[in-house]
Amino acid sequence: MKRSLLLSVLFTLFVAASCEPDEPVVCPECPPDTEGREVTGPSEPTDFTLEVPDYMPRPVLDEDNPMTVEGIALGRRLFYDKIMGRDSSFACADCHIQEKAFTDGRALSQGVRGENGRRSAMSIVNLAFNSNGFNWDGSSEQLWEQAIHPVEDMLEMDEDWERVLERLREHNDYPERFRAAFGIDHTDQISQELAIKAIAQFERTIISADSHFDRFFYKNTEFLTEEEQLGADSLFFVEDVPAGVLHPGCGHCHNKPSFGDNKFKNNGLDDVASLDDFIDLGRGEVTGSRFDNGKFRTPTLRNIALTAPYMHDGRFNTLEEVLDHYASGGHGVENEDPNITGFPLSEREKVALLAFLRSLTDETLISDERYSNPF
Amino acid sequence: MKYLSLIALFALLFFAACQDDDDPVQTGDIATTIQFRAEYDDTDLAIQSATYAYPTGAELKATLFQYYVSDLTLIAADSSEVELSEIELIRYDDATADNIEERTYDVPAGDYIGLRFGLGVKPELNALDPNNFAADDPLNENEFWNSTARYVFAKIEANADLENDGTFDTGLSYHMGSDALYSIVTFTGSFTLDGDNDPQLIVTSDVLKALSDGMDTFDIADPEKQRVHGGNQAVATEIWERLAGQFELLIQ
Repeated sequence: MKRSLLLSVLFTLFVAASCEPDEPVVCPECPPDTEGREVTGPSEPTDFTLEVPDYMPRPVLDEDNPMTVEGIALGRRLFYDKIMGRDSSFACADCHIQEKAFTDGRALSQGVRGENGRRSAMSIVNLAFNSNGFNWDGSSEQLWEQAIHPVEDMLEMDEDWERVLERLREHNDYPERFRAAFGIDHTDQISQELAIKAIAQFERTIISADSHFDRFFYKNTEFLTEEEQLGADSLFFVEDVPAGVLHPGCGHCHNKPSFGDNKFKNNGLDDVASLDDFIDLGRGEVTGSRFDNGKFRTPTLRNIALTAPYMHDGRFNTLEEVLDHYASGGHGVENEDPNITGFPLSEREKVALLAFLRSLTDETLISDERYSNPF
Repeated sequence: MKYLSLIALFALLFFAACQDDDDPVQTGDIATTIQFRAEYDDTDLAIQSATYAYPTGAELKATLFQYYVSDLTLIAADSSEVELSEIELIRYDDATADNIEERTYDVPAGDYIGLRFGLGVKPELNALDPNNFAADDPLNENEFWNSTARYVFAKIEANADLENDGTFDTGLSYHMGSDALYSIVTFTGSFTLDGDNDPQLIVTSDVLKALSDGMDTFDIADPEKQRVHGGNQAVATEIWERLAGQFELLIQ
């Protein structure tokens, strides 16, 4: 009996001991743990429904990247964190500054090396309403795909994605945030795809729809000045005027409420001998069609007073220069948009149009804490 | 046991033989594709890349042709109707794309005698503002003038060389639409959908036939007639009427 009891106790002890975790094997030559460290904490993201004012379109859904509270919070930190750039010294927010409606005030964006990029940094407001690709040339079909390139571009953030991921995995805070947003179990599951999807979730929340114009036209809580009214009724939203005789109406391509149709057009900037002679091919670089050369996205005019310089290459420093360009009527290049026809523009009309354009500034956007630097 | 194996083998063969492998005729829904084909003077429309002769002697390069189709409906042999779609925006604006836009619908198998649609945005939808729809819906703000003029039912845009000097420097922009212009287009033609050699349904439209019917030609040299937007719809009524009257249905 005693012998049996002793055997039972020994067996129980043996079983219990075998349940203890193994001692780590010290092995400097062994390959690193491929699973990374275990990540614990909450892992059930909370669904987020993007609410927009009822006068705006319904947002375009991205089924590949459903928005969550935790995903947006993570994306906001990644957007503002210089950990994303070379040597942890450059952030997305360095070219997309909230006070400038998420542009950078430069003609051409300037990257971590201090060198100019190819094009002007675009405003990233109201991306939730865009279904026609991203960037000036539509080179990224999905918003989350868009964030891949700037990290790698030597003229932008100039970093290797693997190094970014290494830093995120070793960070004392991000792994838990990735778990909260995407339910990861180990740090090695922090991937490029999750990082850019989080950034895109944050970017989609940036809605600009509270300008003086909105408060006049949609909310009926303010009035346009006489000048703004002249700019709106007689110039911006004009429809039926003969080509070249009167102002044709900016609203054809910049219709309310988004004030930009996101289509790709040659708006008559360059006087080229042939379609093959554009310095920047724009959309043509993406499609490979010479007929798309010199075409760029029609951007939103919301906050236009904050986003100088203007055009894809920042060639115009002021809105006055922009109006002078459109009044001059382009260059008759065969793929110019047919609505670029030129028009007379008196000083009074120009002042009125400028006043109206300034009414599109959303003052709440630039101080909205939901979009601000969380650090 | 030996008999049991034989019975099992027989049962397997029996059920395998029941598989319908050579009779594709279906009685449920048939995935049916309707092609919308755009042409210019009976040739495939090529956006930007082709130079087209205009009856007045000018030349054109088309940059955009689009139109709305409301209540796309098949008419069955028993006169019942199958609505395929409430609204479609058919657009040709891409120099890298062909001249065919396709839409596929699940259609009940059966005999049909016609197809019908409304050219433009039907009044019930034309009464709704774009904020009722997602930004990528056919009824988005980019096709909407304003609260009085409403949606643009059709657009024809081109650059013209009026002087035959090789420069296509005259923009032409015809944007048409209003409840008064909404037009019903009806085709008759018999076809059967049963999943077995179903016919191809092709709706063709011809940009030139909207601008000129051989007798009357829209004067694109007149500056007053180079841009029709919003309020001056009377100028383009003749284009609209020709556009609505020139659609054809091919059943192949």
